[in-house]
Amino acid sequence: MSDPYKVLNIAPTATDDEVKHAYRELARKYHPDNYHDNPLADLAQEKMKEINEAYDQIQKQRKGGYSYTASAPRQSSYGGSASYRTAYSGSPLMQRVRMAINNGDISLAERLLNETETRDAEWHFLMGVVCSRRGWMDEAKQHLETACQMDPGNEEYREILNRFTSGGYHPAGYRGFGTMTYDNDACMRLCAGLACYSTTGCPIFCCI
Amino acid sequence: MFGYVRPAPARLDTAGKELFRSAYCGLCHTLGRRYGWIARFLLNFDFTLLAILLSLNLPTGCAVRRCAVHPCRGCRVLNETEALCIAADYSVVLAWWQIQDHIADHGFFAGLKYRLAALLLRRAYRKARGLAPAFDEAARRHLGELDKLEKARCASLDEASEPFASLLAELAEPETDETRRRILRQLFYHLGRWIYLIDAADDLKKDSASGAYNPIKWRFDLRGDELPDEVKLALGETLDASIRRMANAYALLDAGEWTPVLDSIFYDSLYAIGRAVLDGTYHKPSRIRRGRKTEGTTI
Repeated sequence: MSDPYKVLNIAPTATDDEVKHAYRELARKYHPDNYHDNPLADLAQEKMKEINEAYDQIQKQRKGGYSYTASAPRQSSYGGSASYRTAYSGSPLMQRVRMAINNGDISLAERLLNETETRDAEWHFLMGVVCSRRGWMDEAKQHLETACQMDPGNEEYREILNRFTSGGYHPAGYRGFGTMTYDNDACMRLCAGLACYSTTGCPIFCCI
Repeated sequence: MFGYVRPAPARLDTAGKELFRSAYCGLCHTLGRRYGWIARFLLNFDFTLLAILLSLNLPTGCAVRRCAVHPCRGCRVLNETEALCIAADYSVVLAWWQIQDHIADHGFFAGLKYRLAALLLRRAYRKARGLAPAFDEAARRHLGELDKLEKARCASLDEASEPFASLLAELAEPETDETRRRILRQLFYHLGRWIYLIDAADDLKKDSASGAYNPIKWRFDLRGDELPDEVKLALGETLDASIRRMANAYALLDAGEWTPVLDSIFYDSLYAIGRAVLDGTYHKPSRIRRGRKTEGTTI
C-alpha cells in the first residue's frame, strides 16, 4: 500500500489533530453526496476508500497495532454509491429503468423511458436522473421539478431535487459561491481588472 | 468562444499570477513557432486552461523570452511541452471551422473579412489538420450539428449546448491515461456547456436586434432583450450545476503547482464571470455561435 501520509497529503510528523483535519477535509471533498448522479462517482468512491484506508493505517500505527475502525470520524455513507431503490417502483418497466441506471447503462434507461407512453411522476423523476447523468442539467431540473409537483409527498424525488441544487465541495477559504449569489462588486473588479486589449486586437494579459 | 475563463486575481499571489501568465505566453510562443505570427492572434484564455489541464502530469520549466508585445523586459514563458503543442493545434483547427461558419452565414460582402481571415489562416490550418486529424473531423461534425439545431430554433438549453460541449470534450482525447481521460472529458464537456450558455447570455441583446438564434430566448420564450430576474436565477442554477461538475472532476486530478490557479478558477472566478455576464456588466467580442451580424465591442 502507498504511504498513508502521502495519501492524506501531510507529513509523517503531523499531530493527531492535523491527521484528523486532513482526513476530514478530504472526506468532505470526495463525499458521495458531491458525486450524486455524476459519471465520475466510482472514481470519487475509490479515492474515498484510499483515504479511509490511509487514515485507518495511521491510526493503527499510532495506537501500536490496535485496529482503529470503530471510532474513525467516518460516516456510514462515506464510500457508499448512490443507487436507486427498485422497491419504490410500481411498474416492471420502471424497475428495468432503475436497474439500467444502477448498472450505469444510461442509453438503455433513456430508450426504455422514451418508449413509455405514461408520463407519470416516476417517469419524470427517472428521466431527470438520466439527464443529470448525461450532464443535461437544465432538463434534469425541469423533470425533477415536474416529478415533485405531480407527487409532492414523495421523499425520494424531493431528496434528489434538493441535492441537485445544493452546495458541493469548496476548499477552506472559498465560500460556497453561486452565480447569482456572487458579490457583484467583487465581480466588477474582476472583470475590469483582468484583461485589456492592445490596439492590434490581441488580448494582452497585463493586469494579472 | 473564447476568453471567458480566467483565474481570480485576488486569489493569487505574485507566483500564481506569474505561473498563469507563463502558460499564456507559452501558448502564444508555441502558436507563433508552429504556425507563424498570424496564429498568435488566436491566443485565448480558454485554450490556456486547456494547456494547463493537459500538462498537469508533465514536467514544466520556464525561460525568459522576448516578443513583439514585451520587447524589452521579456516574459517568463513556459517551455514548449506536448500539451502546449496540442492546445496550439486545436486552437488553429477550431478557429478555422468557426471562420468557415461565419463565411457560410454571411453574404459575399459581409463575409469578406472572414474570407480574408480564412486566406491568412489556410496554411496554418492545413498543417494543424495533418497533426490533429481526429479533432478536425470532430470539429466539422459537431459544428455541423450545432448549425442544424440553430436552424431548427432548438428550445432546449442542453440540446443546443450539446454539440459545443461534446466538441470540447474531444479535447481530452490526447490524454493517454484512461482514468485521466474520463475525468478531463467530463471537465471539458461542462466547460463547453458553460461557455456556450455564457456566450448566449452575453449575446442576447445583439441577437435580439439582429434576429439571430439564441437558445436562451427560445428556452424561456423571451419577448424583449432583457433577462428577467427569474430567468437569471434559472440560468444561474444551471450554470452552477456545470461549475460543480467541473469542480468535482477537477478534484479528482492532482494539480500540483497549478493548484492555486485552478482552485481560483473552479471555486471562484467562474461564478464571478457568470454573475457579471447575467447582470450585463461584462462585454467582450464573441465568436462561438453562428448567425450574428455584428461583432461585439472589447473591454
